[in-house]
Amino acid sequence: MPIVLAPVNTELRIVRIIADDKTKKHLESLGITINSTLNVMSNSGGTVVCKIKDGKIALDHNLSTKIFVV
Amino acid sequence: MKRFALAGNPNSGKTTLFNSLTGSTAHVGNWPGVTVDKRDGVYKKCAEPVAIVDLPGIYSLSPYTPEEVIARNYILDDKPDCVINIVDATNLERNLYLTTQILEMDVPVVIALNMMDAVEKAGDKINESELEKRLGVPVVKISALKEQGLKDLMDKAFNESNKRRAGTTVLNETQLKHLIGDVKIALAGQNVANPLFHAIKLVEGDEIEVAMHKETVPMVEEFKKTFTDETFGTDFEALVADGRYKYISKYFAPVLTRKNKEKFKMSRSDKADKVLTNRWAGIPIFLVILFCIFHLTFSENFLFVSTFADWANSPLPSLEDLGLLTADGEPLNYGVRWLATIYDGTIYSPGVIVNNIWNDMLVGELFGWVSGLVEGSGMAPWAVGLINNGIIEGLGAVLSFLPPILTLFLFFSILEDSGYMARIAFILDRMFRRFGLSGRSFLPMIMGFGCSVPAMINTRTLADDKERTATVRVIPFFSCGAKLPILTAVAGAVMLHFASGGGNADLITYAMYILGILVAIVSVLLMRSTTLKGETPPFIMELPAYHVPQFKNLMAHLWDKTKHFVKKAFTIILASTIVIWVLTHFGFDWRFLQDEQINDSILAGLSRLIQPLFTPLGFGSQLGAYGWVFVLAAVAGLIAKENVISTFATLGACLIAAGVPQLNGFNAADIYADESGIQAVLAMIAATGITVPGLISFIAFNMTTIPCFAAVGTAKSELGNKKRFNWTLLFWIATSYTVGAIVYTIGSWWWTLFIWLAVAAAVVTVIILRNKRLSQSTLTVAK
Repeated sequence: MPIVLAPVNTELRIVRIIADDKTKKHLESLGITINSTLNVMSNSGGTVVCKIKDGKIALDHNLSTKIFVV
Repeated sequence: MKRFALAGNPNSGKTTLFNSLTGSTAHVGNWPGVTVDKRDGVYKKCAEPVAIVDLPGIYSLSPYTPEEVIARNYILDDKPDCVINIVDATNLERNLYLTTQILEMDVPVVIALNMMDAVEKAGDKINESELEKRLGVPVVKISALKEQGLKDLMDKAFNESNKRRAGTTVLNETQLKHLIGDVKIALAGQNVANPLFHAIKLVEGDEIEVAMHKETVPMVEEFKKTFTDETFGTDFEALVADGRYKYISKYFAPVLTRKNKEKFKMSRSDKADKVLTNRWAGIPIFLVILFCIFHLTFSENFLFVSTFADWANSPLPSLEDLGLLTADGEPLNYGVRWLATIYDGTIYSPGVIVNNIWNDMLVGELFGWVSGLVEGSGMAPWAVGLINNGIIEGLGAVLSFLPPILTLFLFFSILEDSGYMARIAFILDRMFRRFGLSGRSFLPMIMGFGCSVPAMINTRTLADDKERTATVRVIPFFSCGAKLPILTAVAGAVMLHFASGGGNADLITYAMYILGILVAIVSVLLMRSTTLKGETPPFIMELPAYHVPQFKNLMAHLWDKTKHFVKKAFTIILASTIVIWVLTHFGFDWRFLQDEQINDSILAGLSRLIQPLFTPLGFGSQLGAYGWVFVLAAVAGLIAKENVISTFATLGACLIAAGVPQLNGFNAADIYADESGIQAVLAMIAATGITVPGLISFIAFNMTTIPCFAAVGTAKSELGNKKRFNWTLLFWIATSYTVGAIVYTIGSWWWTLFIWLAVAAAVVTVIILRNKRLSQSTLTVAK
């Protein structure tokens, strides 16, 4: 499921990222890569804040529909 | 001299380290992307002096924003003698991702493990000697903030810089090992420097790299064909990233022992964010904070104490009630003058107190003393006029704005340093997205209410070029501090003259602020759907941990700001003040003119020439012989908006001297003494017979037209591109002319509203149709 629908405060594993190369690369360097684990901290109307590694990253609605987790 | 480069993730403390090492006061912020260009300094405590270069923060060596390109190119092309890689120990794994890439270059590297104090405070431990062994380069624990471990770090770096180091990679455990090895051999055969680094970037398919090594690309593609992976297919770039992170978590992460085994623990920052970035509470909390900042800076009714006192039917006594003033309304003694900066029937807010002390006690005293000296010196009258009424008045008007600007800046620095600014950008992103901007452009806009100059500089934090241009263009519509006096003078005069004192002048002022914001929104929408079209950039932002602002940091910010401002005041503004004064006090025959003869001045003559242009705006030809005064005031405002109000005073006095019917029995001296400028505007109304819509159009025009010289200069350097800058000037002229014309015509003849609506509808239709056709033609091209 996309992280926009993911439950809050649960350990999730990223399985797929659909984004253009430039954005994908940027996400990777922030630690958002396939097989890495993240934890959604809050979801306010589609904009998502998640904890990944030890950093806190905010993503807009559009992007958070393109990152899939299980 | 040896050169050491500081490289690391944004917000990992590079600039703090840079300042500690070199003793400089570069701007530090708890907001990713504060350093936008590289910066040089010198460290003197090594065996020989060493040049230190602070690079913009980067998450990886595959750049995402323009400032990341600067960092990459510096390490590759300028070949520093050593790279000091700053690693934020509180986010070890993510920071080491960049480290694994830096290690691939053939350059000496030292790791500075920063923010160790925060790690130890959380009860966690990092085994740095084990990390050193596994990375193969020295690791030094430091605290940039507390200046701990710096000497050790620099000695190790100096030592390393005398050695040579060949690049190493963590990707040798992946299936990519052979592919990378083959490409590396091929590149080394071509004598490419840093062959390992370039080989890996080529395998990743990095854009810059592919463009650089075109002839090697077919060979790499050939190698790649022999290779597939079940998870990633042929997405080599994701494969490389995965390889790095896997190695990091297998070999580097174990050096960190956590006290708390639970993986996702709520930190204090996380708890604060639950409230501050809450979907419903976030925006109201932000508005309250914003209100508090403006209240503390500008309010003459601190905490509404006097309002409460009025409600309780025991109003606070004014200085006059207390018998502390002389018959002329002057303070009785020096002590009372100080008291008057804090209290006069109402308690002033800290910002206003600072302002009063600065203007009444310091600058006012100094300038009064200087002009006394000049008057007593027996110089020619024109020289006395130039120095006293031109230079000193002009500088005074500008310097008087220093306290509110600094106070506002201090509060914004606190918000920035604490980490809250990043949250505001986040909570406003959703709203801004509708206008085609990302939440990041919020900060420069809000700074525009103080002054456009720092606001425009701040747009450097925006990743997208078009978004940046659009933001720079609308910043002047967020009415700056210098425009406020124009609003209050005209609004006050409108109420006195046309509503005989009844009605609320503040309402006009507020309405003008809102008009400015509306114009900004409409023009952003228009630009983003025509000339500055493009996807709204995705919003990806790291939210740094909150921390208490550092006093040293805040003071460094303020000092930087003050230097910048004073430099501007004594260069561009001083020069323009002199020019304006000369042009209003000399005729075309270069004869010196008294104030009353301003009608014969060069500037009056020039203003008359362009007066007809302003007819559709309500302050042009229809105003008759004296009509040029409004044109002149508006033109004077192009140099500095402060000039508008000082021009009002001069013109008002001249008009009364020239025999315009006097209102309220005021004479020229009264007009000079009236700081609000309301009386001067009244004289101008009486002389020209301008209507209310004409006056409102005048202030609307001033608010949205080309900003002051300082802001125009900043826009020029920030936009970088001459053509884009010229279009920006044209955009400002066109916008203000249109806004003024709309206000005037609708105000004078209400039914013209329908004409304007029809024009707007036509413009929107044309844009929509054109965009449709453009997208269709790109589709056919794609086919």
